[in-house]
Amino acid sequence: MADEMTADFEKRYDGGPTIRAALRLPVGHSHVTVLFGPSGAGKTTVLRCLAGLERPERGRIRFVDEPWVDTDLGVMASPQARGIGYLFQDYALFPHLTVAGNITYAIHGLDREEQHTRLAEMLRLLRLEGLEDRRPAQLSGGQQQRVALARVLARRPRLLLLDEPLSALDAPTREQLRGELRSVLRGQTMPTLCVTHDWVEALTLADDVAVMAGGRILQTGSPDQVFSKPANAEVAAIVGVETVILGRVSGRQDGLAAFDVGGKRLWAVEASGKGEEFYLCIRAEDVTLEIGTRPSSSARNHLAGRVMHVRPAGPVSRVAVDCGFALTALVTRQAAQDLDLQPGTPVTATVKASAIHLIPR
Amino acid sequence: MNWAPIVLTLKLASLTAAILLVIGMPIAYWLTYSRWRWKFLVESVVALPLVLPPTVLGFYVLVAFGPKSPLGQGYQALVGHPLAFTFEGLLFASVLYSLPFAVQPLTSAFGAVDPKLVEASWTLGISRLATFLRVTLPLSIAGVVTGLVLSFAHTMGEFGVVLMVGGNIPGVTRTVSIDIYDEVQALNYAGAAETALVLLIFSFVTLSIVYALNRRMWVVWPTR
Repeated sequence: MADEMTADFEKRYDGGPTIRAALRLPVGHSHVTVLFGPSGAGKTTVLRCLAGLERPERGRIRFVDEPWVDTDLGVMASPQARGIGYLFQDYALFPHLTVAGNITYAIHGLDREEQHTRLAEMLRLLRLEGLEDRRPAQLSGGQQQRVALARVLARRPRLLLLDEPLSALDAPTREQLRGELRSVLRGQTMPTLCVTHDWVEALTLADDVAVMAGGRILQTGSPDQVFSKPANAEVAAIVGVETVILGRVSGRQDGLAAFDVGGKRLWAVEASGKGEEFYLCIRAEDVTLEIGTRPSSSARNHLAGRVMHVRPAGPVSRVAVDCGFALTALVTRQAAQDLDLQPGTPVTATVKASAIHLIPR
Repeated sequence: MNWAPIVLTLKLASLTAAILLVIGMPIAYWLTYSRWRWKFLVESVVALPLVLPPTVLGFYVLVAFGPKSPLGQGYQALVGHPLAFTFEGLLFASVLYSLPFAVQPLTSAFGAVDPKLVEASWTLGISRLATFLRVTLPLSIAGVVTGLVLSFAHTMGEFGVVLMVGGNIPGVTRTVSIDIYDEVQALNYAGAAETALVLLIFSFVTLSIVYALNRRMWVVWPTR
């Protein structure tokens, strides 16, 4: 059996919800699990319990064969003993130390040469060369974020815990750092648990997604599974994007990329980012339905398919269409009646190429 | 100009401030981070010298030094003479009397350090003591300096406690404030004025230096 970390515990707050979490993380190689959910769902509490900064009331946390928490046996390992890297939401850089001082903070015990090697390695990895002597207050948000990451990676932790790693940044910086963070995490040999409420971040970083709300983990699975096949209405409402398909680029033309998915050719605007493999994300409100068939053009994807089911949701209806892959469309109730949508009805779904959001893998 | 009381007072104040720095730090650390429900009782005890008349404090210290108390007996057995009316006894009383002036600035300085920084250090594998020395203390430098200066200055001006515990032995327990009082009692206003002026100038210069240093310190180490 492969090495893994298991956690199953409960944390109670006075006047707050009880937070329950059951998680398994593979250990020993790079693997990113994203804990996804709205704010107040208890995601940070889960992270703090794993880090040893909070003491769960009940449960167990094991790292391979090492017990970190076992409330039955009274085991509670200190944060120092766990060998983790914890990235705080606002980075928590030491204001009285330079960039170099922050990065080497945890490796003071090593000999000078090794400290220098690791510092140089971190500065290169996170593109911080030339900033060694700055203080945190003299850095931009993106630079601070990278210093914080360098500080936790410098001591080679066994597990990375990231608390909303990009949420304190402005949108353009966030956009840029997302891809960078992904490649840095891919290059590591330890598992990562990353907390976020941003679905783009979740899809960019995740190998696995655990959806959390109201103090409970509602669904765990691969990103396309969780986003495209939410286990229940609660998860669907949280994830917000109904269709997520993994696809490879099969051709490019005029700034558009073509994907062959489920026997259909889909065109999407390639706004930024290179790569061959992408998650194609389509919001249900960007899909329009009509009866009959139409030829597809590169600006508009017309996809022939059949209605699988129609589910009313307030003033609108959620229509699942099988067009080689499962596609969800949002139509008004009136439109659903006018089109007489029933399971089996042949329809054409239309999605603008610009409405397909590409997230590089 | 009689310099003996001034030298004695400076010695007493420096030693008191140094001792208070050492014992004030663990007390302040505990007061900052403890979640014990009866913590307020300890806080009250530490703050007592602020409101207690110095003569009351001095009286209890004198009783504690006496041959009937365990402290007095222990000290006599160890050193061979009683604590009362000695420089050591005076030092002990001064430390008690100025305790809140050292602990209070330290506590508020420790409390102002972002707890996330402390937690970050812990998760980076650094022990609690090392975290205190490498994060909390450097970020509390202003509080440490304030605590030192306040306890030093407070000891300089001490009168009631000295009178009760130290008496008025020239060169041993006769501090500046006692000396000035004596001069005035003897109607030697010129002598009193001289000593008072020296004390005034010294206090002003010390405070000015500290405030000037403190201001520069904030520029060198911006906290946020």
